[in-house]
Amino acid sequence: MIEIKNLKKIYNGVTVVNVPHLQINKGESIGLVGNNGAGKTTLFRMILDLIRCDSGEVLSNGVNVAGGEAWKNYTASYLDEGFLIDYLTPEEYFYFIGGLHQQNKAQVDEKLAGISEFFNGEIINKGKYIRDLSKGNQCKVGVGACLLQQPELLMLDEPFANIDPSTQFRLKNILKDQNKNHGVTTIVSSHDLNHVTDVCERILLMEKGVVIKDIATSSSTLSELEEYFGVGQSTAAYAVDKEENH
Amino acid sequence: MISTFFDHELKAFWRSKNTGKSIAVKVVMGILIFILFLYVLALGLFMDKIVAAMSPNEDLTVAFCGIVLVYFLGDLLMRLQLQELPTLKVQPYLHLPVKRNSVVGYLALTALLSFFNLWPIIIFGPFILKIILPASGAVTTIVFIVSIIALSIFNNYLALYIKRKANLNGWIFLMAGAVLTLATCGDYVWHLYSLKAISYLFFGNLIIKPYLVLLPLVLSVAMYYVNFYYLKGNLYLEELSSKKDVIRKSSTEIPFLNRFGNIGDLVANEVKLILRNKRPRSALIMGLFFMFYGLIFYTNPKIGEGFKVFVGMFMTGIFIINYGQFMFSWQAGHFDGLLVSKIKFTDFLKAKYLLFTIVSTVAFILTTPYVYFGWRTVLIHFVMYLWNLGINTTIVLYFANRNYKRIDLSKGASFNWEGVGASQLLLSFPLILFPYLIYLPFKYLGYTNAGLAVLAIIGVAFIITRDFWIKKLEADFYTKRFKIAEGFRNK
Repeated sequence: MIEIKNLKKIYNGVTVVNVPHLQINKGESIGLVGNNGAGKTTLFRMILDLIRCDSGEVLSNGVNVAGGEAWKNYTASYLDEGFLIDYLTPEEYFYFIGGLHQQNKAQVDEKLAGISEFFNGEIINKGKYIRDLSKGNQCKVGVGACLLQQPELLMLDEPFANIDPSTQFRLKNILKDQNKNHGVTTIVSSHDLNHVTDVCERILLMEKGVVIKDIATSSSTLSELEEYFGVGQSTAAYAVDKEENH
Repeated sequence: MISTFFDHELKAFWRSKNTGKSIAVKVVMGILIFILFLYVLALGLFMDKIVAAMSPNEDLTVAFCGIVLVYFLGDLLMRLQLQELPTLKVQPYLHLPVKRNSVVGYLALTALLSFFNLWPIIIFGPFILKIILPASGAVTTIVFIVSIIALSIFNNYLALYIKRKANLNGWIFLMAGAVLTLATCGDYVWHLYSLKAISYLFFGNLIIKPYLVLLPLVLSVAMYYVNFYYLKGNLYLEELSSKKDVIRKSSTEIPFLNRFGNIGDLVANEVKLILRNKRPRSALIMGLFFMFYGLIFYTNPKIGEGFKVFVGMFMTGIFIINYGQFMFSWQAGHFDGLLVSKIKFTDFLKAKYLLFTIVSTVAFILTTPYVYFGWRTVLIHFVMYLWNLGINTTIVLYFANRNYKRIDLSKGASFNWEGVGASQLLLSFPLILFPYLIYLPFKYLGYTNAGLAVLAIIGVAFIITRDFWIKKLEADFYTKRFKIAEGFRNK
């Protein structure tokens, strides 16, 4: 699905992303973890051709994403509120996105009905522009717009950060369902190790722009990650702290 | 504590994105502000001559005393429109152990740091020193100056008070506007009373009874405290912020655009962008005012046909210029989203062309009443309409590819320099010069008709070859899109 070759991004002489080789296969669910400044969002943006890489390339289905348009047909992503057209109402935005994928209003409405549980009655027909929604609800709109596109590749940057526990739970189920039942390749970054190990089958751990660990999720993954992030503290004690921080 | 606030305020000013502009823009802005200042200063220095010319039969001092209050009435109106509320900045201090009185006192004090408070002094100061000082002595002079300062402070706080009230309830603003209009009409339309007489009643008596200065002083101090206690009682975020009451927002559709498919959807979004955000909306409204541009020039018989080319271009293309100069910055907030969604850039450009075409066509139709000045005027407008659609749209979009400045849509238009950069300055040259480069040679050779025909032909040629230019613009965009997207991400 995605193949990264010698990808590098340098800001002011500091290498923020340096991935010599990374292969993401169709149907995989990838969790991207790493501390602030590890280069997760930069990597996302390079996969989405939003910033120019200083060297190397990202291939999506074998085609370089840089300058290409084909990948947009099967890739849906939500990195931040900058992806939303904030002066539209959520419905208008959904119809717009649906229209780009040749869906008429009835089809969009039908799809939205399918994720109404995720929206929890806070998005549709509330008579608000997207800019007046809370950050968590904006995230719901972004994720909803992604699902609407029926993507083959779904990329979410810290989707769990602003949403309430019920929505986190529902989002995890959606991600699992998309991956298992619809064969969608998912790439999700998160600071919440519990969520990410729960949802993803493969974890990429980034540090200072480099993927330092690439592990298939197993029962020991969570404690392995906690040990890494615990930096010298006793794992069990720190793991609790870590959760409370989020 | 207040000194710490001032320190932060200064830092906010110097470190804000708007201040950190390119030198060229700063210089131009500096010059513009300086010129404006000079004009106001000149107005102040020659006030005696102007007053003498306006009311030749009256005593200078009497006429002057009559003007002051009228000025302050206009001043209040301007403040209501333009003066900004120094409000949201206090947000970071509200949860800290800082006394409410210092926060409010700081807010009230910084409100004085407005250009509006400088104007009355520059305008009236020289006159008072030149005429009143020699005629009536030092005490009267001081009393006059103090009164004028006090009145501007009163106006300052009154305007802010009304604006704050209006934030909570939009009707207040309309009511204030209505009261001001009625007050003006009462004098100039219905002649119920004379504002000049009222003004003279106070300032004329001020010369004889200097203690009357206490009246404006008391008024200004009272208004300060009204403001102070109002703020203190309402020091909550929702009430401080400039957001209006939440009205239920409805989804709207523009059926006419549906027939254009994806491109129509993009245009529909942009129409919503314009109508739902303050700054682009005022760009559109400005454009409507420009429809009267012709009345200023055409009524003057001395102005020749060459000028109609210019006026025609502005009237049919003001939206292209006024709104287009900031493209694609309007969409900076969601530009990343546009880049990753399934939108071909060709469609994106075609949508811009379609939007320009629709608005320019409407503008052209609105200018048809100028047929009163002869069919030829409408013909020239039509030629310039074609020119706008052919050339100016393409020029504007070419410069849009070179515009990396973010615009925050939530901010208003007045005194907002956000998004202004070198590209806007450069853009104005080809827009204004190109039609003349083609038209003037023909005009001086005596073939004005041929000149117009050539303008029309070039316009049409560009419209016909539009697909070619779209390809060029697209190729150009692909070399610059990372820089554009990065610029737009910089808040």
